[in-house]
Amino acid sequence: MPKVTIAQNILAANDSIAEEIQQSLTERGIRTINMMSSPGAGKTTLLEQTVKRLREKAGIAVIEGDIETSADAERMEAAGAETVQINTRGACHLEAHMIRDALTQIDLSSINLLIIENIGNLVCPSAWNLGEDCRVVIVSTTEGDDKPAKYPQMFAASQIMIVNKLDLLLYVDYDVEKVKRQALAINPHLRIFEVSCRTGLGLDAWCEWLLTFATHPIEDAISIGRGAI
Amino acid sequence: MHELAIAQSIVDIVEERATACNAAHVSSVHLKIGEASGIVADSLIFSLEMLTSLDSILAGAQLRIDVAPHRARCRSCNKEFHIINFVAQCPTCQEWSDEIISGVELQILEMEIETL
Repeated sequence: MPKVTIAQNILAANDSIAEEIQQSLTERGIRTINMMSSPGAGKTTLLEQTVKRLREKAGIAVIEGDIETSADAERMEAAGAETVQINTRGACHLEAHMIRDALTQIDLSSINLLIIENIGNLVCPSAWNLGEDCRVVIVSTTEGDDKPAKYPQMFAASQIMIVNKLDLLLYVDYDVEKVKRQALAINPHLRIFEVSCRTGLGLDAWCEWLLTFATHPIEDAISIGRGAI
Repeated sequence: MHELAIAQSIVDIVEERATACNAAHVSSVHLKIGEASGIVADSLIFSLEMLTSLDSILAGAQLRIDVAPHRARCRSCNKEFHIINFVAQCPTCQEWSDEIISGVELQILEMEIETL
């Protein structure tokens, strides 16, 4: 029986759309970030704080991914970002075709930074390219300090880790150095920020980095995103 | 994760290729799945067997899965090594490597067909 070589990546369809998205946004000078975390780690609150601090200095649009509700998109609009809400109605991660469709609803001529807030899920989103230049994983002090070792793919696939809710350290058994050690053992290039969205601790450093990322020439932005700068 | 959705993608790709070469039936499909890809081979086989039993061109197709080990090459000493738990630290010189040489594949390698 004849053998037919196929030699195809199974996720080729998603990767191909992701590549188109990345090319199209790069041509327009737009840098893209994919923010991921488990539910409740603080993605939306961090984004709210980020948009409020940066909206005068950068043109920011947000694509919000949730299974249901437009609650997060409403918060982002109120904070000052043009926002599109994707409701997956059941899918536990965003895929490139969803981003492609959402982009048709954004005025791309007015932005230089696109932030995608993925579905709250520490497992599946890391496997799906969305055309982003940089991946951010957020962990929080109320989630246990062993998550990098337990969910290694997410940390291996990201360029930035943000440890959130530092204001709650008094009330939980959470070893920040342990989380950092575990994460760096899996991904030595990870750039790490420690923040509290409630007190504002660490947000200046995060926003400064993000602004550098959003306003540098695109080739530098990608290197910055990959931790080379 | 998502072995059923991945299995459906495999069925779609193989069907398209089989139709393109006028195959009457696909008798086997050979896959390479990396051990760090997030896909569990047993679950994938289970899903594929279920889907192919419902599909005329793929019904009864034999499934071969090569599981690729998670391996890296050390940039310092050039040795290749097996990555344990995603910690890509060279056992010889203790340096970390980001040159992953295998283990994250999700590939359809080839199929065997019966022509009319």
